[in-house]
Amino acid sequence: MKRLPLALAWCGLLLLASSCASTTKNTVVLQPDADGKTGEVVVSNRGGSQVLTQPGQITEISNAASAPSTPAQAEPAAITKTFGPALAALPDPPVRYLLYFQSASSSLTPESEKLIAEILSSVKTRSSTDLSIVGHTDRKGSRQQNYRLGLNRALAIKSLLISKGIDPSIIEVESHGEDNPLIKTEDEVAEPRNRRVEVTVR
Amino acid sequence: MKHLGSAIAAVLVLLVGSAAASDGSVAVVKTVKGPASIVRGQSVVPAVANERVFQGDTLRTGADGSLGVIFKDDTIISLGPNSELVVDVFLYAPAEGKLSFVARMLRGTAAYVSGIIAKLSPQSVRFETPVATLGIRGTRFLVKVGGE
Repeated sequence: MKRLPLALAWCGLLLLASSCASTTKNTVVLQPDADGKTGEVVVSNRGGSQVLTQPGQITEISNAASAPSTPAQAEPAAITKTFGPALAALPDPPVRYLLYFQSASSSLTPESEKLIAEILSSVKTRSSTDLSIVGHTDRKGSRQQNYRLGLNRALAIKSLLISKGIDPSIIEVESHGEDNPLIKTEDEVAEPRNRRVEVTVR
Repeated sequence: MKHLGSAIAAVLVLLVGSAAASDGSVAVVKTVKGPASIVRGQSVVPAVANERVFQGDTLRTGADGSLGVIFKDDTIISLGPNSELVVDVFLYAPAEGKLSFVARMLRGTAAYVSGIIAKLSPQSVRFETPVATLGIRGTRFLVKVGGE
């Protein structure tokens, strides 16, 4: 709990000894994801490495040759003080819409059709100038065929959005073919949930 | 010579492939407060909302400045005041198996929220500071370089 202020005080002492100014102490703090889960950060240098696994864990690194400090729990007030401006500058996360097609057809399912209006309003409220449309397939068929299939479906959505008034210059179309599945499967497995077009409004 | 030729070809493919967006940009500025700029080669572009960020750019904020960008793979990075971050590598082409993100923090404070590259290929993401390298396993973190 006291690690950060202590470290600052220590640094102040070092500063008196005129050796602190030349060091660049680094601090890394792990935070929980938006979905409540927490990932991991591995902090390494020539001196060794530490893994942060718990939300709010902090490690400090004084130089490239000394191992990162043993993870400790950061003091929330100190975090806010140090990182407040950076945290306040975090943009709202991009909004992603998954569109599905009726089987063997280029028309959207009724549920996906309804999402189009939401996409339009999201572009407006976010003043977005960066909208990506990415076509995805399952692993049935060749990789190359799937790339093309994903691209065609993405292009269909692009035309649709342009017809609804979206500025073509903000749209970027791509195909990830079978290489970015929602559900991982073996090759040649049909998986309807992976046959989708993702529209991301940034 | 033959090897050199194919090496050059590979580099060319890599360069062309790196253009995730049609204009080659890799991120967009979404939030700006106070003094903030993008250093691109010899030129310095003021960072305003919707300004495009390219591979190799340095994001920089002054006193009281802050900046937030969203990358093409949905990675989010924001900087607090007196901060500097270099976007060394950003390759996002899953269909070509090309995924790489290397960011280098020179000074100041940053918040990081990982995107799709970290999800598809965690080992392809590296966040460097002057004294350490951070490996990311799908997550958010804060980092501070130097200062008091």
